Amino acid sequence: MSATIETRELRKVYRGRAVVDGLSLTVGEGEVFGFLGPNGAGKSTTVKMLLGLVRPSGGEVRVLGGSPDDPGVRAQLGFLPEQFRFQTWMTGEEFLTFHGRLAGLAAAEVRTRVPEVLARVGLAGRGREALGGYSKGMLQRAGLAAAILARPRLVFLDEPTSALDPIGRVEVREIIEALRGEGVAVFLNSHLLAEVEQVCDRVAFVKAGRVLRQGTLRELTGGVVPVEVVVDTLSAELRAALARLAEVRHIDENVPGRAALELWVGREDILPALADAIHEHGARLYTLNPRRPDLETMFLDLMDHPASAPEVARA
Amino acid sequence: MRKALLIAELSLREAVRKRLVVVLLLLTAAFVGFYLYGVWRLEGTLAQRAIDAGLESRSSTGAANIPIMYAALFGMYLVFFLGSLMAVLSTVGAVSADVENGVMQSVLARPIRRAELVAGRWLGFTLVNVGYVALVSAALLGGIAALTGYVPPDALPAVGLILLAVALLTALTVLGSTLFTTLANGIGVFVLYGAGFAGGILTAIGSFSDSPTLLTLGRVASVLMPTNSLWLGATYHLQPEVLRQLGAASRGANPLFSTDPIAPGMVLWAALYAALAIGLAMWRFSRRDL
Ligand SMILES: Nc1ncnc2c1ncn2[C@@H]1O[C@H](COP(=O)(O)OP(=O)(O)OP(=O)(O)O)[C@@H](O)[C@H]1O
Ligand SMILES: [Mg+2]
Repeated sequence: MSATIETRELRKVYRGRAVVDGLSLTVGEGEVFGFLGPNGAGKSTTVKMLLGLVRPSGGEVRVLGGSPDDPGVRAQLGFLPEQFRFQTWMTGEEFLTFHGRLAGLAAAEVRTRVPEVLARVGLAGRGREALGGYSKGMLQRAGLAAAILARPRLVFLDEPTSALDPIGRVEVREIIEALRGEGVAVFLNSHLLAEVEQVCDRVAFVKAGRVLRQGTLRELTGGVVPVEVVVDTLSAELRAALARLAEVRHIDENVPGRAALELWVGREDILPALADAIHEHGARLYTLNPRRPDLETMFLDLMDHPASAPEVARA
Repeated sequence: MRKALLIAELSLREAVRKRLVVVLLLLTAAFVGFYLYGVWRLEGTLAQRAIDAGLESRSSTGAANIPIMYAALFGMYLVFFLGSLMAVLSTVGAVSADVENGVMQSVLARPIRRAELVAGRWLGFTLVNVGYVALVSAALLGGIAALTGYVPPDALPAVGLILLAVALLTALTVLGSTLFTTLANGIGVFVLYGAGFAGGILTAIGSFSDSPTLLTLGRVASVLMPTNSLWLGATYHLQPEVLRQLGAASRGANPLFSTDPIAPGMVLWAALYAALAIGLAMWRFSRRDL
């Protein structure tokens, strides 16, 4: 596989503290890659190392087959920074023209490309206004326009929808899908997991600067189906029977006369057996709701959030 | 190199758009106008006195014209001082401000070398600062010439030395801007500037009190910060023979003006120093995290 991004044992140490700590990643050609992790996990730092803005303390980085320190490699990259701050004294058009020239586009191409990308991010007709007068979301849109301006082969988007309204979020999703259609790889940092689920081919979870898991959504969820079950009473026998069929992740008996359980089953055809077991132990079934496996569940699980910890041993 | 020119162009447009140029021109016009008005009144007084004394005319290089000569000299001192101040203030955030507010990230993610960015910023700010001081010098000396007919003996080399000082100051401020925060840089460069001035004072006192220690200290300070030496060199060219004799008679007790020409080595060192500062700035900035 020809890799768009490849890192091996990448490290960054700030004041004696490793914020990226042996990170090994592979992003394939034309792939939309989701990079997920809690605040301070080192996501933005990783992106900056992949762009040559921050020098790694150790390890190897290859981007588009070269080093990001090579301007020839950076000419094929687009970047929307997490802190999207731009020259406030420029107008939107001047800003994009400046970036087009920096990226090495020909003057004629800059002239046609600038209105195109302005329209693409929903800023058509606002290009003559100074960036200082843009709203936060408009600025982020301008930054996105700059990121896709020079027809890059790889685009880094660091939380591209953090300031956007719901329409803007849908538009960003469409832009990412259009980029994928053109064979452009996208490296996406985001906390909006539902969004990531919809657009990403592969994701990686990072925590404290290390990759915990990476793979396609299907590979990562491993076919586990989370099931929400509500019964009137939960006897010890029933609990044991359920535990034989599924992994009991969580039990909530706070509501009188109800016991709510979060179960993980390995296959869908175990679901009827759950209902049978509940009937056999004389409990009444109120809810049996299989959910699509989602990134949020996996995220909470991987990050050891208390809400996701198994509580089988509570009794 | 084309990218460096693009950054220089950006810096010039920035100076215009952020109203730096307008404010400078207006305030400078006010300052030069005010000063020239004073010179014009002085000229009137001197001319009246000459007539009262029954003299046909006054030689512009003679002792009777000393007040005008000093007016031109002190006027140029103000130009030098204000030019230095403005060079430091305008350039103090040349690189650091964009790093601090995050603008730099999207710029440096583009195919531009960091050394090119530093070179472009330096070029842009040098053009603004040097152009500004050249313009004010021309306005002041031209105004005095028009009002009184007095032109300092070697105005061009004098202004050249002042411009070199401004270029050096700009280069050092750009260097500081790649190393420190904007505020720390501003303070740092002013302290350096002060060190150069202190060097001039120590040299002046050292020479009339015959103190080798003070002279050595003064020399160290001027090597560390040659701006004051460049100014003193400029004053030599700005003074007609009468003033130089007057200065020599007081054995250099005036630390603002010099009766000796600047050593050519010092001029070379100042130019080399500016080049070294920019080279160091390029090198350091290329190794820095954003
Ligand atoms: N310039 C710096 N100096 C010192 N520490 C830094 C610097 N930049 C980042 N860090 C530290 O590195 C860690 C990772 O920061 P980073 O911005 O990469 O996190 P992130 O995963 O992007 O988080 P978020 O989701 O909040 O954006 C943080 O603990 C941060 O404090
Ligand atoms: Mg971040």
